[in-house]
Formats: sequence, C-alpha cells, structure tokens
Amino acid sequence: MKVSLSWLNDYVNIEMAPSDLAEALTMVGLEIESVSERYRYLDTVYVGRIEEIGPHPNADKLHLCRVDTGREQISVVCGAPNAEIGMLSPIALPGTEFPDGFVLEKNVIRGQTSAGMLCSEGELGLGDDRSGIMSLDPSLSVGDQLASALGLSDTVFEIEITPNRPDCLSVIGVAREIAAIQNSRLTYPDFKLEDKDNSISRQTSIKIEAPDHCPRYVARLLEDIQIKPSPFWLQERLLSVGLRPINNIVDVTNFVLMETGQPLHAFDFDRLSENRIVVRTANKGETFITLDQKERFLDAEMLMICDGAKAVAIGGVMGGLNSEIEDDTTRVLLESAYFNPVSIRRTTKQLGLGTDAAYRFERGVDPGGTITAANRAAKLMAEVSGGRAVGGLIDEYPGRQSVKSLKLSTQKTNRLLGTRLQRKQIENLLKSIEFTIGQKTAAKDKDTLVVTPPSFRVDISRPEDLMEEVARLFGYNNIPTTFPQMPATGRLSTKEINLRNRTRLLMNGFGFREAINYSFAHRQSGDHLRLKAADPRRQLVNILNPLTEDQAAMRTSLVPGLLQTAHYNFAQQIKNLRIFEIGKIFIDETSQQLPTENEVLAGLWTGSRYEASWHGHEAQCDFYDIKGVVEAFLNALQINDVQFSRLPENECTYTRPGYSAQILGNQTRLGLVGQLHPQVLANFDLAQAAFLFELNFDNLIPLLKDTTVSRPTPKFPAIFRDITIIVNTALETREIISTALKQSPELVEDVRLLSVFEGTPIAPGNKSVSLRVTYRSPQKTLEDEAVTPIHQSIADRLVKTFNASLPA
Amino acid sequence: MDNSIDQIYQEALQELKAAADRQTVEDIRVRYLGRKGIITQFLRNISKLPADQRPAAGKQANQLKNLLDEACQETTHNLETVGETAAGGIDVSLPGRPAPCGSLHPITQINQRICDIFTQMGFDIAEGPEVELDYYNFEALNFPKDHPARDMQDTFFVSDDVVLRTHTSPLQIRTMEKQPPPVRIIMPGKVYRCDSDLTHTPMFHQVEGLLVDENISFGDLKGTLTAFVHQMFDEQTSLRFRPGFFPFTEPSAEVDILCVMCRGKGCRVCSRTGWLEILGSGMVHPALYENVGYDADRYTGFAFGMGVDRIAMLKFGIDDIRKFFENDIRFLSQF
Ligand SMILES: [Zn+2]
Repeated sequence: MKVSLSWLNDYVNIEMAPSDLAEALTMVGLEIESVSERYRYLDTVYVGRIEEIGPHPNADKLHLCRVDTGREQISVVCGAPNAEIGMLSPIALPGTEFPDGFVLEKNVIRGQTSAGMLCSEGELGLGDDRSGIMSLDPSLSVGDQLASALGLSDTVFEIEITPNRPDCLSVIGVAREIAAIQNSRLTYPDFKLEDKDNSISRQTSIKIEAPDHCPRYVARLLEDIQIKPSPFWLQERLLSVGLRPINNIVDVTNFVLMETGQPLHAFDFDRLSENRIVVRTANKGETFITLDQKERFLDAEMLMICDGAKAVAIGGVMGGLNSEIEDDTTRVLLESAYFNPVSIRRTTKQLGLGTDAAYRFERGVDPGGTITAANRAAKLMAEVSGGRAVGGLIDEYPGRQSVKSLKLSTQKTNRLLGTRLQRKQIENLLKSIEFTIGQKTAAKDKDTLVVTPPSFRVDISRPEDLMEEVARLFGYNNIPTTFPQMPATGRLSTKEINLRNRTRLLMNGFGFREAINYSFAHRQSGDHLRLKAADPRRQLVNILNPLTEDQAAMRTSLVPGLLQTAHYNFAQQIKNLRIFEIGKIFIDETSQQLPTENEVLAGLWTGSRYEASWHGHEAQCDFYDIKGVVEAFLNALQINDVQFSRLPENECTYTRPGYSAQILGNQTRLGLVGQLHPQVLANFDLAQAAFLFELNFDNLIPLLKDTTVSRPTPKFPAIFRDITIIVNTALETREIISTALKQSPELVEDVRLLSVFEGTPIAPGNKSVSLRVTYRSPQKTLEDEAVTPIHQSIADRLVKTFNASLPA
Repeated sequence: MDNSIDQIYQEALQELKAAADRQTVEDIRVRYLGRKGIITQFLRNISKLPADQRPAAGKQANQLKNLLDEACQETTHNLETVGETAAGGIDVSLPGRPAPCGSLHPITQINQRICDIFTQMGFDIAEGPEVELDYYNFEALNFPKDHPARDMQDTFFVSDDVVLRTHTSPLQIRTMEKQPPPVRIIMPGKVYRCDSDLTHTPMFHQVEGLLVDENISFGDLKGTLTAFVHQMFDEQTSLRFRPGFFPFTEPSAEVDILCVMCRGKGCRVCSRTGWLEILGSGMVHPALYENVGYDADRYTGFAFGMGVDRIAMLKFGIDDIRKFFENDIRFLSQF
C-alpha cells in the first residue's frame, strides 16, 4: 500500500526525516518496501521560456512556438490561448509520463514537429486549471527542473502490510503507528454530520436477508448533487497514492477508503428499483455484469446487494454496471458496510476478482467504523458536488458483537518476552495505540491488566496478541538476548540420516557428483520409462495446479531426472558423466490419503571410464563399471550377502534386456543395475549408452548392522591353487563359484574368479573360466600334500556338475 | 705381503666409494672377490707362504675379504635407496593417474552445515512427508481455511485436503503430537510453492527449528539465532529482529542479517537496504499447543525457519536460484 508523507501529515505531525520514518515503521512491523520521491515524474519537465510565437500553417487554433529549454531551442506546437512571448512556462520533454498516464513522445502535429509540450497545471497534476498553459514566476531560471524550481517535494512510502494488520491499510492507520512511535498526538478528521431530521427513512430502506454474510449495513443518501471533476485538493490526495481521479463522487469514496480503510460504494439512487436495498445471497445460476463489463457467474454463497427488483452489486467486491454513477446522476445512495471476511474471500477466490475493497473486507475492516466513514464521505460529497445529505442514516446491524476485553498478566508477558517490564510501562505502550486499560481489577492484583482493544484491531483475540503489541512497541531490539538451557540429552542421528550422509561420501569417492532434480515429473513419465500398466510407479500423485506440463505430477522414479540432467549436460558438450541423486519418490495409494514416500539412491554413468590422457586411451564405461560401484558401495556398508541376478527379459522396461540385474539381499529386492534401454534413451533424446543403478533405502536399512564382531586374522600362511575349466558360455560364473564353495572342508578359505575367456582356441559357444582357491588352516602351516586331494575333488565336482572339460 | 693385502683392500674401498650405480659395484665385487678376483687369488697364494706365517696371513685376508663383501652389499643397498642418479629420474610434472573424485551438491553442503550447527547446540533432526495433509500444513498451524494468510504461500494442491508442503512447519505439529515437551528439533527438507523466477523455484529447501520447554523466552530465540548466524556467517554479521506475521507464532519476528556482500553499505543483493531477510521466527502460538494437547500455561517455545537455497546463494555468490537444479557439471564441480 502507498501512503504519502503530505497526507500522513494531516493526522500526525511527523518529526522524523523520511528515511528515519521508514526505518521506524519497519521496526514496528510495517515493512517499508520502497521510499520514493512523488514528483519524480516531473524530472523531464523544465522551466522554459517562449521565445517566439508563430502561426501553425495547417491549423487556425494552434501556434508554433520556439521554446528555450535552457539547453536548446525547440519547436513546440501549442494551442493555449494565453501563450505570450517571454512567458515562462513548464516545458515537458519526450518521455514524460503525465499523472493521467499519457506518455509524451516527440511527434508531428498537423505536419509540424513538436519536440516538447507546454503544460497546464491540470496536465501536470499541480492544480485545477486546464484553461491554458501554466504561467511561472518570471524570476525562475530557465532550464531548471520544474519540481525544484517550485519547491515541490513529497515522499511516497510503499508499505507491505501483513494480513493480520488490516487496520494499517489506511492513512490514518499508518499515522496512528507513527504517533505511537513518536509518542505524539493523532488528530482525526471531523467525522460528525449534524442531521436535522431522519427523512432518509421515508425515502429508502435496507433489508438484510443474509446477516451472516453482512453483519452491518449503513446507508446515507445525497441529493441535488452534480457530477463533475473533483477539486484539486481531492485529486491531489488521490494522485499522491497512485490513484486516478474519476469524478467527485467516486473520488470521495476512494479518498475515504484510503483515509479510514472503510470501503464505500455509491449507487445512483434513481437507478435503484423501488429505491431500496435488499442484501441477500445469490441464486444458484444467477449471473451479473460488474462495473468492468464482465459477466460473472454466481453461486449461492455469494453476497449480492440488490434493489427492489435486481442485483446491483456483488457485496464488498464490485458494483454493477446497472447502478453506476453517471454524469447525470443527482441522487446517491452511499453504502458503508461490514461484510463477513470469509464470505468475501470465498467470493473473490471463486470469481478470481480482487479489488481494493475486497482486499480490505477479507482481512477485516473496523465494524465500528462504518458510521464515521459514511458521515465523512457524505459531508465531503455534499461539499464537492454542490448537493446535500438527506437527514439521518440507516444502520442495520444484525451481527452486532461487543468487543471483549482480555486479561494480560505482567509476569507472563515478561516470561514470554524475556523482559522485566513494569505494569505501568505495558499500560502506556498499549494506550499509545488506543487500547483501553480497565480499572476494575482487584486492588491487590498488581499483575493483571484488563485490556480492551479498539474495534479496528480485529486481529487481537488472545493475551499473546497483546504481548506482541507490547514487544513490537517496546522494540524487539531492546529485548535482552539470552540463550536457552539445553540439557545434554541430544539423540544420535537416525539410521536414515546416517545412511544418507555415508552414501554421499562414498559416491563422491567413486567419482559421482551429487545432483538435485525437481521432485516433479511429467504425467507421461511412466510411458517415457516404458513401465508396465501394473507398475506401481504409474500410480502418480497429480498436482491440480502445476506450473508446467513436465511438473504436473510427483516423481515415482529418480531415473527421468537423471536422464534430463544428462541431456542438459550433453547439450553443454559434457559427454562424460557420473552423477547420483538421493531423493524421495511418491507412489499414490488409493487406500490412503497420503502417498507412500520412499527414499531412493540412483546413479548414472555415461561416457568414458577414463578419458584419453598420456596414461592411456579413452575407454568407455560398461555394465561392470557401474556394477563395481554398487558392489563397492554395499561392501563399504558391510551388506555382504547380496546377489545380482539377471533381470528376466519381460521385466526389463527402462533397462536393456540381457544387460540388467536385480540386486537381491535377504530375499528382498534392493534395486537394480543395468544399461539403459535404447528406446528410453531415445525418449529422452540421448544418443549415448548410459548405465544406471537404483537402490531403495527403505530396503537397505534393515540390512545395516548395528555393530560388527571382529574375527581373528589368520596366523598361518595360505596355499593358492588354480583351476581352469571350459564350460558353456550361458553358464553364470556365480553358479560355478557357489558350487566350488559348496561342501568344501573348512580348509577352503575363498574361491575367486581369475579370468574368463572366449575365443580361439576355445570352441565357439564355450568359455574358459579360471578360479583361484585359497586354502588355509587355522591351526598350522598347510603342506601341499594336504591340499592336493581337496583341490582335485573340487575340480572333479566342477567338471561333473557343469559337464565341463579341462583345457588341452 | 702384509702391506700388500691391506693396500688392495684400501684400493677396493676407494673404487666402491666412487661407484655410482649397482653395475659398477658388481664389477668391483667380481674383480676383487670373484672366482678369479684379486683377493681370491691372494688367498690361494697363502698356501705358498712359510707354514708359520700362514695362519696370521690367512686370518687377516679372510677378515678383509668379508669386510669388502659387506662394503659391496652396503654400497649396493645405499644406491638402491637413494636412487640411481645416472637414471635421470621421471617427469614429475606429468599428471598422475586420475583417482575418482565427485562432489556434494552446494545445497547439501549448506544444509549439512546448518544441521551441524544446531545439532551441536542440542537440537535433534526430525523429518516427515513432503506430500502433506492440509491439516498439518495449514489448519493445525493456525491458518484457517479461507484466511488471507494462506495467500502468503502459493500452494500446489493434490486434492482439497492434500497439498505439497509449503514449509517444513507441519513437522512441528507431527513432532509435538508424538512426544511430550521438552521438544528440541530441527527439520530440514524440500518444500514446494508454485512460483518460478530468478529468486524462486517451485521446489526449494528449508530448515525449521522448534524448541518448547518451560520458561523459553523471545530473548532465547534471539540468542539462539544470533549464535547460529555467527557460526553460519561470522561474528561481525549483526542481526535485526523486527515484527512480522506468521499465523503459527505470536509474537512473530522477521530476522534480517547485515548484508554479507556490502556489510550494510547497500548493494544490489540487499536492494540497497544493507539488510538481508533470511529467517522467519517467533514464539509458538498457543493455538498450536491446544491442537497438540500441550499445557499452554506451563510451556513456552520458539520456532524459526530459513531457506537453505537463499543462504547457499549468499554463501556462494550465486545470483540465479535455478542454477541449483540444472545440475550443470561445470556448476556442480565448483563446490
Ligand atoms: Zn548489500
């Protein structure tokens, strides 16, 4: 909200410099967003002198003037009757934005170039007179900026008012805070209007049929008015806060709105059927054309202001085209109402229609301020329109609520704030913003204050609200800084947090950089990953109001994000990537309100294993690179009993069949590792093989050991013996090793794969597999003779089990 | 004869001293101690000496032979240890074989630092769902339905009752529902608001804090956040507490820190104010205690929340928040 220093000065004598005032307001909770000079728009308007006046060759009523701007002589087309040679007058140069919104450009008027504009008071927003150009004091210096030459200066503050402070959505509201800061007096304008009689009640009536929506409706009537432009003082006030003057009646409603915060509406009384007002909710399916000429579709919860026959306004939101003030209006019904904030908010949200009035109603206007605002406006309207207020006012107040007083404990206030304020100090702080302190507490009770907030403070309902008032007026920065007692009972981090932190460091060690992608996904992300119809990852949590299509759901996999990251980097000529992400995926569950959220680790490796360098040629990464990362990762976490088994072809959706393995541990699927499916790569517009792994943290966590029990390290040397067999290529080496280990005596410590070889001299369809067996005894140094028969039996078993042959 | 064996030994030692590589040492050894070596020859010739001189001469010659053998071995060992100067060495300026090296996302780094500071003070870490019930995200936090306070946060809706959490504050309620006071927790996590520009992304990160106990005051809130800011930035970073509005705290305070870029002189980052708004905070609103069944007469507490991304932008001098989620390797590798 904008307020100007000059307007504020009408109600409080401001002693501070504008910058100090801005700081002080910010520190009591009225955050100043900007401080600006009001007459900045006159920066391109100078004191000019008319040097020469000649006829305009193509227009009788226009002249062609040569004007000295102090810098140059320019040619200006002017129609003013009062232009004279030697006269000083404001000369606006191209780029000037006038208060009515017109932006001056260098242009051609009837064939003659006009490089500027000689201006009237009215055009410059400096006065009423539009009859001719402004004549300036001859003692001014040509070429000076107009604002400084005339001593024009006013400061405009843009204030961010928090939703709890609707009382500050007015100039008086801000002035009240300033008065409290300065400890000075607030002067209210004259809110009284003497009524000779109550003739209004003979001319009109107000009927409230929806008291929940409209607890109070005050009306006044004006007659014999004449619609015309407002006097300059009124226009000037509106202009100072960025409002455009319209006509005297509308301007008064806007002026009083800005001054008091009470929205008003003026109806053309003669256009009200039966000259009366009925306040009711809309009928289902009812439509209404608002002032902005748009048709609005209403529902039964919206409040309508009606006359004897039809709706004339959406209550508190916007008036209708059918009862608008027009140039020939002579009688005005002035509405000053208190509408239910929730009702107004619902209506504005539903209609997508926000107005200054609705903004205030939905935050809560002063239910006790309707009459004073109506009086103020009626008086001003009569004054500026030549009309008069009909005697009396109508005040329908079915929703009357008494303001309730609150008990405030000095001791509790000090306990919450950490202060040592005296009761009297608290009392004075609250009084400075018009709270009343009751005298009725028992004489012995030195602790409690009985506080009644003013009716405009609709945000105050609890003692804590009063404590906040005390704190902010005392000054947050004056409250002593202390530190809470923190006993040493902190808990250790959870397994989840530990695992996440450990994982990040391990992944760094494997050369993977951490990425963070949005948790959003495209609604077609299941198709992009070729997921099956029954895949739970197709159970999307959809967002009703997404920003973009590719963020219209919550992700059910980290894979699309990693592939998009790859795509982004490929476009930046970065082809070698090792990235990982830890994040949640979201699976919608029809049986429960909230989705299942699982934490997942995913990694992607694409491009080189190592880049070309003096050490060697570039080599591309492959399945075994990414599998090695997963193995090392699980190893580091001491999750040892893990199997990698080939993912059946019909389960390979986003990974390539034959090049994908599921990772199994303790009968649960921990995740998968594999090469990306070429079709999925194509879906993400990637033209380079990529390998990925995914591990589900929720399944890993049960496998983490709380402690490790150490084993004795071997005391005696080992004997190593190798076996080479030739088997069918389809046979998985895992089978061979587990068979070698099976049924072996305790002397067999380990069986390790040494090499796998296909090609000549091995027959096609076969491969040679070499194993190294480690033999060791815990009791003694083994002799060759003890090992030989065992080794032979293992070799025999392998040959027999797999129908293997021995190398020639 | 005596002089001669000693002389031979001395000559051999001189030659060893001059030897620059192992081959030379080996040559010397062969020349003196080999099968046809000088000392070997000398020992053979002892048999030709008179019988009474033989034992003494033999003993001396054998001693010197052993000494020379040891000297050869020692010289070889030394040459191996210190390196062979004649080999010319290697180009140590050539890059080594690359060891893998990843990086932590800048948001993670700042998030961990924030959490470290608070856990060292005695706060525990709590986590919770990102898709949240309206009840926890708004209602229980004293944001009534149809209240303009809800406009302060542009909300992504999943249904009428389910939203993407707009702040980590729902965990205040979830935690207090589960445990009696005292509560000392910080709550890091992702939050969502439908907003996107230079300083807003639809997803960002927050760390929330909550302390509820007997006799916790606004002064304690100031002290805790001051200690945090001094550790996060430095001791010279002063703080400014000013009234603000959050439905779930009363009194509420916005916390500004002295601009870390210009130190209060005014610059683009702080919009020439000299201050940066980095934290929202306040004393826990009694309505929350009512919602979770705490005794509002007995307990008081404070809560605070901060944007991790914003702090990361300040710490690392990043001007566009969207860079965090592009994951450009050239960006990530800077941290
Ligand atoms: Zn700055």
